[in-house]
Amino acid sequence: MDVFGSFALLLAFVCAVYALVGGIAAILTRHPLLIKSTRQAGMATCILIFLATFSLEYLFFSDNFASAYVVSHSNRDLSTFYKVAALWSGQEGSLLFWSFLLSIYVLSVLVVYRNKNGELMPYVGVVLAGVQIFFLALNNFVASPFKMLGNVSASGAVEPFVRMDGNGLNPLLQYPEMVIHPPNLYSGYTGFTIPFAFALAALLARYPGEKWIHLTRKWTMIAWCFQSCGILLGAHWAYAVLGWGGYWGWDPVENASLLPWLTGTAFLHSVMMQEKRGMMKVWNVWLVFTTFLLCILGTFLTRSGIVSSVHAFAQSSIGSWFVGFLCLIMVVCLTAYIKNRDYLKSENRLDSVVSRESSFLFNNLLFLVACIAVLSGTLFPVFSEWFTGNRISVGPPFFNKIMIPIGLALLFLTGVGPLLAWGRTSKESMKRNFGWPLLAGIVAAVVSFAVGYRNVFSTLCLFLCGFVGWTIFLEFYRGARVIAARSGMNLLFSAQELAMRNTRRYGGYVVHFGMVLIFIGLAGAAFNIDVQKTMNFGDSMKLGPYTLILQSADTKADKNYTAQRMIVEVLKDNQQSMLLYPEKRLFQGRDQSSGTMVAIYSTLREDLYVVFAGQDQDTNLPVVHAFLNPLVKWIWFGGVWVVLGTLLALVPSRKVSLVLAHSTEPAPATVVPALNPTVTLQEGHD
Amino acid sequence: MTSRRSILALTLVFVLGIVPLLAQQADRVKTVGSRFMCMCNCNQVLTQCNHVGCYMSTAMLKELGEMVGRGNSDAIITAAFVKEYGTTVFAEPPKSGFSLIAWSMPFVYFIAGATLVIFVIRKWRSRPATVLQSAPGGIAVSADALDRARAQAARDTDD
Repeated sequence: MDVFGSFALLLAFVCAVYALVGGIAAILTRHPLLIKSTRQAGMATCILIFLATFSLEYLFFSDNFASAYVVSHSNRDLSTFYKVAALWSGQEGSLLFWSFLLSIYVLSVLVVYRNKNGELMPYVGVVLAGVQIFFLALNNFVASPFKMLGNVSASGAVEPFVRMDGNGLNPLLQYPEMVIHPPNLYSGYTGFTIPFAFALAALLARYPGEKWIHLTRKWTMIAWCFQSCGILLGAHWAYAVLGWGGYWGWDPVENASLLPWLTGTAFLHSVMMQEKRGMMKVWNVWLVFTTFLLCILGTFLTRSGIVSSVHAFAQSSIGSWFVGFLCLIMVVCLTAYIKNRDYLKSENRLDSVVSRESSFLFNNLLFLVACIAVLSGTLFPVFSEWFTGNRISVGPPFFNKIMIPIGLALLFLTGVGPLLAWGRTSKESMKRNFGWPLLAGIVAAVVSFAVGYRNVFSTLCLFLCGFVGWTIFLEFYRGARVIAARSGMNLLFSAQELAMRNTRRYGGYVVHFGMVLIFIGLAGAAFNIDVQKTMNFGDSMKLGPYTLILQSADTKADKNYTAQRMIVEVLKDNQQSMLLYPEKRLFQGRDQSSGTMVAIYSTLREDLYVVFAGQDQDTNLPVVHAFLNPLVKWIWFGGVWVVLGTLLALVPSRKVSLVLAHSTEPAPATVVPALNPTVTLQEGHD
Repeated sequence: MTSRRSILALTLVFVLGIVPLLAQQADRVKTVGSRFMCMCNCNQVLTQCNHVGCYMSTAMLKELGEMVGRGNSDAIITAAFVKEYGTTVFAEPPKSGFSLIAWSMPFVYFIAGATLVIFVIRKWRSRPATVLQSAPGGIAVSADALDRARAQAARDTDD
């Protein structure tokens, strides 16, 4: 099966090269058979990558310990569930997994648009083939997942051998969330390739109209949704498994996932300017290019070892390939832009500073500042070493100080933007729209202050959450009230009908609501408290309203690990509340590595988070570390709403037909005198 | 009697003097410790390293506690840590020298970006409004009426 997998990968590479070279020839000659064959070559590339991936997965499921990759990342006792995750636990397999997910997108695009957008699709196919060639080249010639174990004999011949068992999977990955976090995150990274391909193709083809933006926006939303899920799942995994009490450590690999998310979010907002007003075409094209470049940069940071990270793969020479690919993409994008920039000209006109257009401009500014701040902070240790010879760390305190004000400013714009009208917002409109939300914000701030959340940034954050939350509520309420008055439905059904008539708009509001909930969760971080104590059985520690008593310990043996479990009784206000079981797991495998399972009692108000941190070196007694983390649950809750809102925005809006009262047929169209506009009318959009 | 009073006096001195001092020193260890990274490569601030028995954070915190106990100033403690562990021990770039670049860049980006945005807004606002000419036999529309119509259309189709 390893030979089959290797061959499938090599054949996929050949097909991708044909799709690229043949695709360029097809564009130049416009020969229909050539266009068709290169499209089919693109599809074949995807199918061959699927086969190669299934081959590697088969090696895992069949415990083939002749394979070097399987030996490094699996063992006989590893459950089937985690053998799936073992595919992407190492450099080689994760690159193949990247190609696999990219192929799902590419195949979908080639199939869905096989009879549409005939002018554009050959260019799209060429760009996608180019990206696939890069990752296939890595897997074929630099980091093959199908290497077999072998001993070099005295004669120089390589003699294959088979190990009895493997080293096992990294304990940090043996957690259900780690089976879904990487696929989501990689789906986000690879998904941004599609809008990049469409944007570059539209620029190269000088594709008329704004249709490519509609295509680009939907694929961007899908990728953005996966990226958001990946980031939140990773944060939750860090919280539940790593045991340091937090969910975001500004680790370089974490930052790498945030960068394309920031520019992707900026694009999803500024694309509305292009659709509504035909504005910011150049900006949008470069936002899409930058998002894709940041995806490649992110994976470069993870794999090259130039920045130290607990998440990174081992340092390897693969980094130079990524640098080369990044440079190539930049050259191609720059060349395409310089040659065709006149195609992106637009008649931009703004009536007023106080308008939705301005709010989008500032929104984009803040997202880009956040992106550049995170990127420069992440790379600063490298730059400082290059220029001064000293490597200076840039840790969480730096990022928190920079990003908190930016985050709050973005939250403010989240509330203000939808309240402003396109073109111009009158003073009366501002008074009408801002009054109640400001009051809601003040009430939220006062309540938070009263219950004890007394920190400047947290209070400001909760004020803004109240403000933004109320603006979103008003949007739904006002629209639903109109529908309820006309249809006789209740407000809830009217709100549902309202959302279905404009899923993109109201899906966006649901996403904003999810972000408000996430910010409420983040506001609680300033009030985290913790206690660490070496405890004997019967000892207790106090944390807020909770008293923790270490009752006993036990050992639980599983197929792949042995868990040492502490049994902690929790009293709240001196009343018995629950038992918690923080544990440490010792995994089978050559290095007997260990992992932590945190015990969390989670409510909307706070999380009681208890870690069995290890044994005291002097007394050999267990050390228990307990945290009280307010409002954390709101973050995960908000994440669910972000995903739901994105899914709603992807659903096509329900069409509404106008029927006059006492009429059995739709009213005839009214004839109006023709005007001779001297501007080009904007294309319709959904 | 005298010994009892002495014991009581000593106890009072301990409770009123030493205990708050120890608490103050513990707070100072936490504050100063939060400025350093744990050097075991966990990428966590020294006081947040969650590895029990971590060979680095245990030793670093012990050393920090001793220096705080001796009454050393923050500057002396920082210099000693940098001398022993290098500049990578900082949790955030120092606000001096080359490291000022890290702190100033976000402000520079924001000011540059805001300047550009304001320039773009002004440029867009200065462009003339497009005039629609009516066809022969059509209705002449005043600019005011057109503005009102645009505002109404914007309200009706707001997204």
